[in-house]
Amino acid sequence: MHGLADRLRVIVGPRGVLTHPAELLTYAADGLPTYRRRPPLAVFPASRVELIEVVRLLHAEGRGFVPRGAGTGLSGGALADPDTVLVGLNRLDRILAVDVENRLAVVEPGVVNARLTKMVAPHGLHYAPDPSSQTACTIGGNVAENAGGPHCLKYGVTLNHVAAATVVLPDGELVTLGSADGEPDGYDLLGAFIGSEGCFGIAADVTVRLTKNPEAIRTLLADFRSLDDAARAVSDIVASGIVPAALEMMDSATIRAVEASIYAAGYPVDAAAVLLAEVDGLTEGIDEDVEAIRAMCLVRGARTVQVAADDTSRARLWQGRKKAFGAMGRIAPELVVQDAVVPRTRLPEVLSAIAEIADRHRIQVCNVFHAGDGNLHPNIAYDGRDPDVVERVHLAMREIMATCVAAGGSVTGEHGIGIDKLDYMPLAFSEASLAAMCGLRSAFDPEQRSNPSKVVPVRSCREWRATPAARETVVGGDGWR
Amino acid sequence: MTAQAAAVGTVRDRILEARELREPVRITGAGRWQDAGRPVRAARTIDLRNHAGIVEYVPGDLTLTAGAGTSLAEIARITGAERQWLPLDPFGSAEGTLGATVATASCGPLAHAFGSPRDQVLGLETVTGTGDVVRTGGRVVKNVAGFDLTRLFTGSWGTLAVLTEVTVRLRALPAAEAHLAVTVPDASVAGVAALARAARALRAEPYALELVNRALALRLGLPPAAALLVRLGGNDASVAAQRDAVGALGHVVELQSGVWSALRAAEPSGAAVVRLPARPSDVAQCWGVIAAAAPDALVHATLGRGTVRAILPAADEGGRATALLAFAHAAPRWVGERLPAALWTEIDDVLAARPVSDDAARSHRARVALVRRIKDTYDPMHLLNPGILGEAIA
Repeated sequence: MHGLADRLRVIVGPRGVLTHPAELLTYAADGLPTYRRRPPLAVFPASRVELIEVVRLLHAEGRGFVPRGAGTGLSGGALADPDTVLVGLNRLDRILAVDVENRLAVVEPGVVNARLTKMVAPHGLHYAPDPSSQTACTIGGNVAENAGGPHCLKYGVTLNHVAAATVVLPDGELVTLGSADGEPDGYDLLGAFIGSEGCFGIAADVTVRLTKNPEAIRTLLADFRSLDDAARAVSDIVASGIVPAALEMMDSATIRAVEASIYAAGYPVDAAAVLLAEVDGLTEGIDEDVEAIRAMCLVRGARTVQVAADDTSRARLWQGRKKAFGAMGRIAPELVVQDAVVPRTRLPEVLSAIAEIADRHRIQVCNVFHAGDGNLHPNIAYDGRDPDVVERVHLAMREIMATCVAAGGSVTGEHGIGIDKLDYMPLAFSEASLAAMCGLRSAFDPEQRSNPSKVVPVRSCREWRATPAARETVVGGDGWR
Repeated sequence: MTAQAAAVGTVRDRILEARELREPVRITGAGRWQDAGRPVRAARTIDLRNHAGIVEYVPGDLTLTAGAGTSLAEIARITGAERQWLPLDPFGSAEGTLGATVATASCGPLAHAFGSPRDQVLGLETVTGTGDVVRTGGRVVKNVAGFDLTRLFTGSWGTLAVLTEVTVRLRALPAAEAHLAVTVPDASVAGVAALARAARALRAEPYALELVNRALALRLGLPPAAALLVRLGGNDASVAAQRDAVGALGHVVELQSGVWSALRAAEPSGAAVVRLPARPSDVAQCWGVIAAAAPDALVHATLGRGTVRAILPAADEGGRATALLAFAHAAPRWVGERLPAALWTEIDDVLAARPVSDDAARSHRARVALVRRIKDTYDPMHLLNPGILGEAIA
């Protein structure tokens, strides 16, 4: 690859290419500790022109590549195999335009999520998707993963907040997807691109929608003696017509981890579950919503319901939730932050099933979740040096995923498939559906050089290229129903 | 075998048959919108009307799965009984089907707050032009498993796959609603621009903000002036405060909720309908383009979304063609919803003759190539709705 490194240096300059193993170690993992793959070479274009030239060179050389933002992903999606080049996008970090009147911003892919919100705050606006990693993760990465966050219950996920993107296709051609000028026309190629995990090319710029800051915000914390009670309170709130900005739940293992850490938020340590609810909007009517939520929690057996009196106590209540993963990291050397979704009404039974699976495999699961969406994060803290423990964690994870799919859910709500969940895809989709996904990938990237071997099992992609007759399908064979 | 499994099997058989005969098919729902899009070249039809009915509805999950032929009116009736709704109000009759709404990505005034089908569809059951039964997405409200075929097939006008079943996200109905009309005395370009700015700064979270011109206001039984139709929802205190905020925009008339269905059904049969999409700040300019070329048109604008829609009743054909060509010349962007069949070619020529930069032309070529690869992937024999989206993917 040394000849390639030299040719890349011509494009991006000597400091834009890394080849030394020690320097490349930083890029050998993402936010998921289970996988390590050191890329052979990393290139960091600093302008749109450099990005296009890099992709065209890699195309000419027939070389696979892996786009990477901040590397905060949780599915191993941004790791590069020994024969692929890592394309780091952190230097493409300019906010190119802010259109206050139309509430749009055009940003390069390496712009950090929270920086955009900070930049537009003086105009009374923010960028709504708020993944827990928002102080580090980039808009390009958010687009690749279709990232969510606690507030997507009311405001929607990344898909709902992107108007257009200029994409460098894997062959180096530039194409505009979506439209910043009103409703788009033709196939929703932007919708197809969002969440494609870097397999359809690289966004050179993204036009995002900005959201008006709410006039008033109220945050409540309710603590429950059982997870079931808390889950039922969630259902009641959602059915009431109130649209909370967020509805987050934490189980007792998480509460204890948070309270034992420097992020202690004052959660009652003897509670089976706490529910963090937030409502926002106009000042008029907001306290009525708060009272209604309080009453619904009390009816379902909440011991106490506290309402944050000011911004400081509000921030404190949120701190425990936002830093829960960090707090769990103290329990054991490794932490797997998992992600799955179930229909909201199935939460109680799925949570009991997860507890049973954890007991049987003698592992500790801490549940933190976006309860309003049914989006679970069953996290496992464990000692990765013990192969027996690693094996049990693996088995438990697979059972948890199968349980969620059997309940009518999905194997991922916001973290993506990457490499971590490839094996789970056949649980959720039939061969015909997986093959159809590969067909879309091949349309964007006929040679499958952009983030190769991720998202859909390679076997399914061979299927799609077979003749239709050879792809006899089983009607009703999908797992999700 | 369940009824729905039988339904998808029937559609699959029809497609395999079409493949064998090499005869294209037109896909229809309730058959109420046959003149939408470009003319379709197909002698055979796959009719989804009988693929109707609720497949699964768990109110506590706020999700619903229904056969593609289920009407929006039926969905409104069933979800309404649980105080829930699907906030999707495409223009045309409520007897139109869920499948057609999703296939054409159609939406109406509620898109201001709730977005279009792409924002509300969670999963699909489809049969592709290759005869494969492909299920996309799922029935949970948050899902990023795999490549997003749900978004690809939503709005693809039946040119990639036949939708047989759709899962959507529902909302709980608000405790209180209000429907208001604000009289707009000055509907000039400057007047509309000022109104649009004021509406954007409104201290409210409206479900819909739809500007209608004088001709359309009259048709809806409103006073003879342009009007801003406002739909509010929330708890009592919130709706009262929002109503006060709207009052600051001008003279307010209280309406019944029926105004929205009247607006949906306002287009006379045989009307030509076009949409001019723009940034919200450019809506007034598009409004002016229409007012100048077609003073008699029924016009309305979804202000926050930046779409102006013109309805030209069938009358003087020559005058109407001149007006439609004038829109195509003057508006920055142009979407034909229903047009006299003969006019499509002429308008496509006008659009094709517009000057574009080299970069834009290259990007356009790359996009067309990509769209063709997608079409060839899912409907390699070009059997599904041929012609409806134009020559690029005929």
